Amino acid sequence: MTSRRRREIALAYLLLAPTLALLGCVLAYPLGWEVWASFSNLSPLQDSPSFVGFENYRQHLENPEFWLAATVTVGHAAVTTVAKLVLGLGFALLLARPFRGRALVFLAVFLPWAYPASVSVIGWYWTLSPPITTAYSVFMGTLKYAVDNALGTGAWAFLSVTLFNIWRGSSFIGVLLLAGINSIPPELFEYATLESRSAWQRFWAVTVPLLRPFLALGVFLSLTSGFADLANVWMLTAGRIIFPVIGTQAYWLAIGAGQFGPASALSLLLVPFLLAALLVLFRLFDPPDREVA
Amino acid sequence: MATARSRGARIRSNVFAYANLLPYVFFVLFPFYFMVVTSFKSNAELYNLKSIPFWIQTGAILDHYALLFQKTDFVTWMKNSLLVAVVATSASVVISILAGYSLARLRFRGAGSFGTAVFVTYLVPPTLLFLPLSQVVVWLGLADSTLALMVTYPTFLVPFCTWLLMGYFRTIPREVEECALVDGATRMQTLWKVVLPMAVPGIICAVLFSFTLCWNEFTYALTFISQSAHKTAVVGVTSDLIRGDIYFWGSLMAGALLASIPIVIIYVLFLDYYVSGLTAGAVKG
Repeated sequence: MTSRRRREIALAYLLLAPTLALLGCVLAYPLGWEVWASFSNLSPLQDSPSFVGFENYRQHLENPEFWLAATVTVGHAAVTTVAKLVLGLGFALLLARPFRGRALVFLAVFLPWAYPASVSVIGWYWTLSPPITTAYSVFMGTLKYAVDNALGTGAWAFLSVTLFNIWRGSSFIGVLLLAGINSIPPELFEYATLESRSAWQRFWAVTVPLLRPFLALGVFLSLTSGFADLANVWMLTAGRIIFPVIGTQAYWLAIGAGQFGPASALSLLLVPFLLAALLVLFRLFDPPDREVA
Repeated sequence: MATARSRGARIRSNVFAYANLLPYVFFVLFPFYFMVVTSFKSNAELYNLKSIPFWIQTGAILDHYALLFQKTDFVTWMKNSLLVAVVATSASVVISILAGYSLARLRFRGAGSFGTAVFVTYLVPPTLLFLPLSQVVVWLGLADSTLALMVTYPTFLVPFCTWLLMGYFRTIPREVEECALVDGATRMQTLWKVVLPMAVPGIICAVLFSFTLCWNEFTYALTFISQSAHKTAVVGVTSDLIRGDIYFWGSLMAGALLASIPIVIIYVLFLDYYVSGLTAGAVKG
């Protein structure tokens, strides 16, 4: 090994050092702390936390509320992902061809994603759950009770969170897929037009396979953000646990009840879901080798 | 004949496109429109059961905006947001340029796995981390200050920017760098004088996204800060204008609109960079 080569390796680590230090101190350490806390009965209300083993996990897994929250979390992520993909793909295909006013439409459609979610969510809350004294509250109230009666209490809240996330996410996926379509050489599409019998066939045989990496990335990001959704649910239900997802339950346990141990265990129970999503991503598409298109 | 048919087909397909886009654009823009209408309406009309919710009948007023500026810390929140976003973004982008270059260009054992690790780190959601990070913030003595956010935001900004910049650095041909190295430049000189100027679009992209992520961040800002004077704009608006069951709806909407103006301006001006960031496959939904 030449001294030049050795210097280069030293430099590589030197340049990486700030990143590693940051990730070590402010990421690895908290994660470790969380794992430790999940095995203890740590709480700010108590001086000496003691080790309780898998007790916190056992309690969650035996608690029907956890399974309800887990079902809602998975259901929410799945429903929003499918809807986002359908809407986003439709939008991307429509916008892929030039037409008058395309730039403006593009700007408008991208806005929900760029806009701070925590404040645009207020607009939705105002629209979907207005105070009883407003002009359209009678109509929305009737709708809410109809939905809640038909599907069970909390269904309206679930619907409103789902709608909001579709609104915001389809904007993102649409632009992502449009960028994907634009990065595919147009000759491929021209050739496909000559070779295929129908637009439908062309869509399944050419467009979808070519867009696969982008679709995979979209699905993955949508699933992870869906699993870990906390802020949106919190805001759209005004901080009330009308229907539980894992994120809000953990927040409530920790900040509301001061039970850091059980809350950590609950947060960490999200990890299997995230890993499953990651596995799907890596099967479909290998991000670390990708170059900028 | 042929041109007539193709013209007819073109019109048909345009009509098809517009007819499909119209409901979508309505769905996309309606919440914003409704927010604007609400923010300019008098309370009397807002809470009048007989009024029409979708436009203003009794004249637009600025009372809700006045309340925002006079009765709340809105200006302070905006300053806090700006300060946090600028500090966290600049620190993160500098750190990420170094790390991204190292991972993209310098050959050393484990470069590949470090790259993957950085990507995976970025995917760890704040829902998982807000709890232990709030402890870290307390131990560092930063609880309830904007410093807490400046320290914690890089935890998601650095992995993201590193990932993004790694991709950009890889698109720069190695030969350009090798020329400089052969001419006697050191690695750092090459990075500074040759690679960075060529990576400017990538760096702008990283800055834009980091700024947006900082500005829009909600979970940490909500958890770590309780004093009104230290809140960021998006948290201040939502937490101080909702008091228990009382919603200051007009001002809430006014705040929601004003708090996002910096982001909307940046986004309209630099739309192309946003899109190129997305293609780089580095942005979370």
